Amino acid sequence: MFELEATADMLLPTPQAKASTDTPETRIEIVLVKAVLAGDRDSFGRLYELYAPMVHGILLARIPRSEVDDLVQDIFLHAFRKLHTLRDWAAFGPWIAMIARNRAMDFYRRTKETVEVTEDLQSMDMQTSRANEILELIRALPEAYRETLILRLVEGMTGPEIAARTGLTPASVRVNLHRGMKQLRKKLGYAEGL
Amino acid sequence: MNEEYLWDKSGEPDPEIQQLEQILGALRHQPKPLDLSDEVQPRSRNRYLPLIAIAATLLIAMIAGALWLRVRSKTVPQLNNVRIESPKRQQDIPNIDDKKTNDILATVPGKPNREPRPKVKEVKHSRTLEASNMTAVERQQALEAKEQLMIALRLTSEKLNLAHRKAQGASENQIRNQHKVG
Repeated sequence: MFELEATADMLLPTPQAKASTDTPETRIEIVLVKAVLAGDRDSFGRLYELYAPMVHGILLARIPRSEVDDLVQDIFLHAFRKLHTLRDWAAFGPWIAMIARNRAMDFYRRTKETVEVTEDLQSMDMQTSRANEILELIRALPEAYRETLILRLVEGMTGPEIAARTGLTPASVRVNLHRGMKQLRKKLGYAEGL
Repeated sequence: MNEEYLWDKSGEPDPEIQQLEQILGALRHQPKPLDLSDEVQPRSRNRYLPLIAIAATLLIAMIAGALWLRVRSKTVPQLNNVRIESPKRQQDIPNIDDKKTNDILATVPGKPNREPRPKVKEVKHSRTLEASNMTAVERQQALEAKEQLMIALRLTSEKLNLAHRKAQGASENQIRNQHKVG
């Protein structure tokens, strides 16, 4: 029943979907990118604060956790150098999200699939250990679901925030969250319908 | 499962989702300062670059065109002073005096008697080969070819007329027999 409602929701031009193209965040992005290109480095620091959790989440869905922090820094430095190539200043979020996804793919190309996405569980405390176990389960989900779920559950972003920053439609994010959560619950052994 | 809480954290909190948030929160991004001191300031994109590119392309095209025209004008033979007189056809047309023509026109009602037009020496074709460049045989061949072309054109014209008449006849017949069809 919900599946049908979700599909119909995706097709309808909802006010939320329209609003996502002109959110306050995109206006901030334009101002900040313009300021950075004019020579204001502090504005890039503000962009980093806004988008680092998203980039972190995207990487966490793909590469070992120990590599994520360094790669986040690399991605933002790369973005700083290449910022003049960004044509649509409002699309900073989708642009840097794409850089992050490409960098994650490059990571596996460079390491030639020798790296396993597993963590050293013994050196962690109980909570972190449990968190890594769940993270492994999320990483086993389809790509669309795992990225959205990590942004929601790990980085603490809401659905509308995920949509606004990644450039996905709110309807897609909603469906990905719902279906991803459903599959995760199955893997975790939670009873259906709770 | 509380869908609204999963979506935007509104409504009644879902205990399972809250528990997952709490556990996975340990992996959340820990903000670290971004060091941009060694980085070169990004260049501001030149907004006039596309216009400059278009202007440069047009300029190059114009220069290339001018050069091509100049080279072409040197290589193509000078044809402007050349003319060919039309053979025989000129002789076939009976020569009517202007005076006689005026007399005939005067008899036509409603047409004022016009002043005779000044005679203009008619130049049939400007782009023809210079007579001195052609031998007598070549000229004869050219004239024969022209005659053949004219015959072919007349033949084609006649056939087209015939086809047109047939088509007209057919449409008239259709109109006449329309009551029978309906």
